[in-house]
Amino acid sequence: MSMSKPDLILREKVLAKTGRGVADCFQCMKCTSGCTALKLLELKPHEIMRLVEWGFLDELVTSDIIWTCATCLKCTERCPQKASPYHAIMTLRNVAVEKEVKVPEAYLKAVSQILESGLAETIQKIVTRDAETFDRKSLKLPKIANPKGGFQVAFMKILEER
Amino acid sequence: MKVAVFWGCRILTSQYAYEMSIRETFPRLNVELVDLPETNCCGDPVKSIRELAADYLATRILALTDTTGLSDLLVPCNRCHFALSEAMENLRKDDKTSKKIINTLKEEGLSYNPKIKIWHTIDFLHDFLGIENVKKAVQKPLKGLKLATHVGCQIIRYSDLGRIDDSENPQKLNNLVNALGAEVVDYPKKLDCCGGALMRSHPDAALSLAGTKLTLLQSLSVNGLVVSCPECGLMFDSKQKEAATIAGAKLNLPVLYYTQLLGLALNIEQEKLGLQLNQSPVNQLLLNIER
Amino acid sequence: MARIGVYICHCGLNIAGVIDVEEVAEYAKSLPDVAIARHYAYTCSEPGQRIIQEDIKTENLDRVVVAACSPLMHEETFRKTVAEAGLNPYLLEMVNLREHVSWVHFEKPEEATEKAKDLIRMGVARAKLLEPLQRKKVSVEKSVLVVGGGIAGIQASLDLANAGLDVILVEKSPSIGGKMAMLDKTFPTLDCSACILTPKMTEAARHPKIKLLTYAEVESVSGYMGDYEVTILKKARYVDEDKCRGCGVCAAKCPVKVPDEFNLGLGKRKAIYIQFPQAVPLVYTIDEENCLYFSKAVCRICEKVCEAKAINFEQKPQRIKVKVGGIVIAIGAEIFDASKIPEFAFGKSKNIITNLQFERLTSASGPTGGEIVCPQNNKRARSIVFIQCVGSRDKRFNEYCCRIGCTNTLKQAILAREKLGKDADIYVCYIDIRAFGRGYEELYRRARSMNINFVAGIPSEIYVEPDGTLSFNVFDKNIDKLLEIRSDLVVLVNGLTLSYDAEKVSAVFHVPKGLDGFLLEAHPKLRPLESVVPGIFLAGMCQGPKDIPETVSHASGAAAKVIDLLSKGEIELEPLKAVVHREFCSGCGLCEPVCPYTAIEMKIEKIDGSERHRAEIIEEMCQCCGACAIACPSGAIKVHHYTNEQILAQVHAACLK
Repeated sequence: MSMSKPDLILREKVLAKTGRGVADCFQCMKCTSGCTALKLLELKPHEIMRLVEWGFLDELVTSDIIWTCATCLKCTERCPQKASPYHAIMTLRNVAVEKEVKVPEAYLKAVSQILESGLAETIQKIVTRDAETFDRKSLKLPKIANPKGGFQVAFMKILEER
Repeated sequence: MKVAVFWGCRILTSQYAYEMSIRETFPRLNVELVDLPETNCCGDPVKSIRELAADYLATRILALTDTTGLSDLLVPCNRCHFALSEAMENLRKDDKTSKKIINTLKEEGLSYNPKIKIWHTIDFLHDFLGIENVKKAVQKPLKGLKLATHVGCQIIRYSDLGRIDDSENPQKLNNLVNALGAEVVDYPKKLDCCGGALMRSHPDAALSLAGTKLTLLQSLSVNGLVVSCPECGLMFDSKQKEAATIAGAKLNLPVLYYTQLLGLALNIEQEKLGLQLNQSPVNQLLLNIER
Repeated sequence: MARIGVYICHCGLNIAGVIDVEEVAEYAKSLPDVAIARHYAYTCSEPGQRIIQEDIKTENLDRVVVAACSPLMHEETFRKTVAEAGLNPYLLEMVNLREHVSWVHFEKPEEATEKAKDLIRMGVARAKLLEPLQRKKVSVEKSVLVVGGGIAGIQASLDLANAGLDVILVEKSPSIGGKMAMLDKTFPTLDCSACILTPKMTEAARHPKIKLLTYAEVESVSGYMGDYEVTILKKARYVDEDKCRGCGVCAAKCPVKVPDEFNLGLGKRKAIYIQFPQAVPLVYTIDEENCLYFSKAVCRICEKVCEAKAINFEQKPQRIKVKVGGIVIAIGAEIFDASKIPEFAFGKSKNIITNLQFERLTSASGPTGGEIVCPQNNKRARSIVFIQCVGSRDKRFNEYCCRIGCTNTLKQAILAREKLGKDADIYVCYIDIRAFGRGYEELYRRARSMNINFVAGIPSEIYVEPDGTLSFNVFDKNIDKLLEIRSDLVVLVNGLTLSYDAEKVSAVFHVPKGLDGFLLEAHPKLRPLESVVPGIFLAGMCQGPKDIPETVSHASGAAAKVIDLLSKGEIELEPLKAVVHREFCSGCGLCEPVCPYTAIEMKIEKIDGSERHRAEIIEEMCQCCGACAIACPSGAIKVHHYTNEQILAQVHAACLK
């Protein structure tokens, strides 16, 4: 960690958005001890909490680490100070998008997919254990009722709203 | 009884077996499913982009439910259930959010009804329908089956939001499996995550998490794993082979949706329950049911 | 025409930092009947008080208004001030400019100053109508009820008895001793708890001025400070206390074995039992629920083998009524129920135990003779982990710190090292180590020198492996690494909560609890020994977590307060009472049920040959709440110092602008 300067204005915004008491975190390590993403991706929720509280946001917002959260919610559930690193991380992600730093491609793809069809995924064919191929049609499942009307415009508008 | 149903994205685009098994079993339990006139993503991936837009997508589903005239909505996916629950909570707490979303919906001619009650497959069967009624409907008790369950994360956490079961000791899915005549085997680390949320950005890590859990499950003497979320089903069943590669393990664990198991106990044909679609070796499990 | 002196206090910057005290003083001067108005930095100080006293003489004041802090703080102080200058103490009016103005409206100084003026105008209007009142002396009972026989109750009882007061010590268990009797060694000196406790227990039992009532509970209390009437229910132990010699033959022959509460389920006791070998009184008790005679009408072996003929199955519970002048509540604390935190798996393995259970394991008189074994298989533990703050510092349960968790663990870890040898792995997982008292920091260093691993972090979840081992991951923030720990034994260091009987005690004695659940003291800094009910004092952990030295000090302090109250044999009653004006009383009886202190009685009087009902207020019990005055349809009840005229004058002054 380099000695960057805190961004106090952005800090106010992040604290307000996060809601659940970041300042209450007393670094008990319970969140990090049980973090699903710690071993494989080195996510340390307690560290993020302290960095957010002190306003060292620039590095966090541009980092890959905030995208490693598995959203399992164990930290939110078990925190003795009801502080929720999960919510702080999601806020940081929103800030990263707003500041147009590089975010994982897959999320942007999901958004454009939703604009196109209403769903975040595309229909897939399933190859069975017996090497047969099926899809919704061949399984006689009902057609998907994609959104019509003003959905695209509305979704676009609310995505862009500042 | 009638209930509206919101499938989300994963079920409609790849986890067909879950949809099929629900569509087959619920009518047998006297539950009529009413599809929404339109569907859209619950907003889950959009939470990482812009929370307001995600809450809008979730609220749109509730508004669409309102147009059916029904006040109960079945949501078989853990993540959709969580997204809808958080959206409702955000609208309750924050006036600004509430106004923005309600106005946006108004422009489409939709309105938000905060009285809609959402249900997951588990608590719908366990509490709404009642587990006694599930038991009564069983025609072929699945005697001899020893199964492990994986409830998932976002359906039991975080408890302050109000979830469907106890966050540290969830029992409802176990009870539902027992109601079918099968035995449930408990195991430490049953609350560990399938890793699904990481598939978008860190697929190797996601598969490693799934692989680790599958390896642990395989070491118990169980005939299979029961899940009730399409994300968990995707990781443990559809991607079991990939998970095996990443985890460096040999994985052969049958994984199926609870409603597929329910269908078996209701004596419904396997094909109608989508059991041919499971990527994991469910044939093994079917052999273990005592005749 | 009254001559009123108005004194506006700065209270340092507390008041003057918000309110323009000069402006307010000027305003006060302009009010009718105000002879003099001053403002001063610290009115409660000696020079401040002297100013008032001199003004009373030189300005011929007949009423005084002090505009300062809350009357709860200094009304008594200023009453004494004016009394010393020859003015009746009840001709003093306090106006609260601190808690009611400067402390709450600190962001609006101009409006605050205006409000201050309004309140003073109201105070002056009331002061004009105040009447002189006289305190009355009543005699008091020179006896004390002590509720709870732990170290706090025992210490308080000894201090009270030695001061010459009669003490009734009531304990709900069959023996006194409380939690301290369950401890093995005490920190920081590691001396034996029983060795320092039992002499006091014996002294209390033998003291000629202490009456010990064990296996008894307080059922109801009525009366008032100096004259309480208490009903105590003495439960039937089916053993005659005067005959039982404590020989133990009955227990040896008793066929029933049940989990032992004293050993917290780690051992078994018989249906006829004593809690521990050094029990006081050394009298056996029959547990009615598990005794075969009571449940199935068979057995009675104990009766057959008892040489002293002490067994009495016909014994009935007794209700004992006593009169006491003061009450000391010493009901202690309980440990937090760790099953409320399921991620720590309490109840899923016998090898996950509480800190109190660990005391029973290391205790020589405990179920394992002092051996630290795994309760699951009775094998010696090779590894042991302490998890701190279970149920403490946790917003989901108790937000407060339990105060003794850290030092208790240091003690237990050191004992574990001494008993298990150098090869055992001992870990302490903590959030902070709090070692604040005398000798505590030294204890911490001693523990660190014994290869005890202090892990700076607590785990998220504890797993019970199929082979019974307990495993968990914990992130240590000091070395920035995730530790994977496997252990034979896990000790959950549970926090403290108020005793299980707290609800009952709180209701019976009308003693409220604070937000944290412990009994509420009259003032957290200046009056930690008194409850808010006059005559009822608090001793020990019931007023908040404490270690043993603090408990003993607190108990002795509470005893001193009681001695203070009762030693003269009489006390002065505040004249703030409601009074029935008999000429106006129609005897309708509407006031009687309204009084929350049961201070009103309907008396029958014979007047001119006919019977008439009249309400009478028992002065000593009246707390001057005013409910009766409001209920009375004839306006026959006058509340001294809060008369209708006085209150209406304030209202009228408030509406004037």
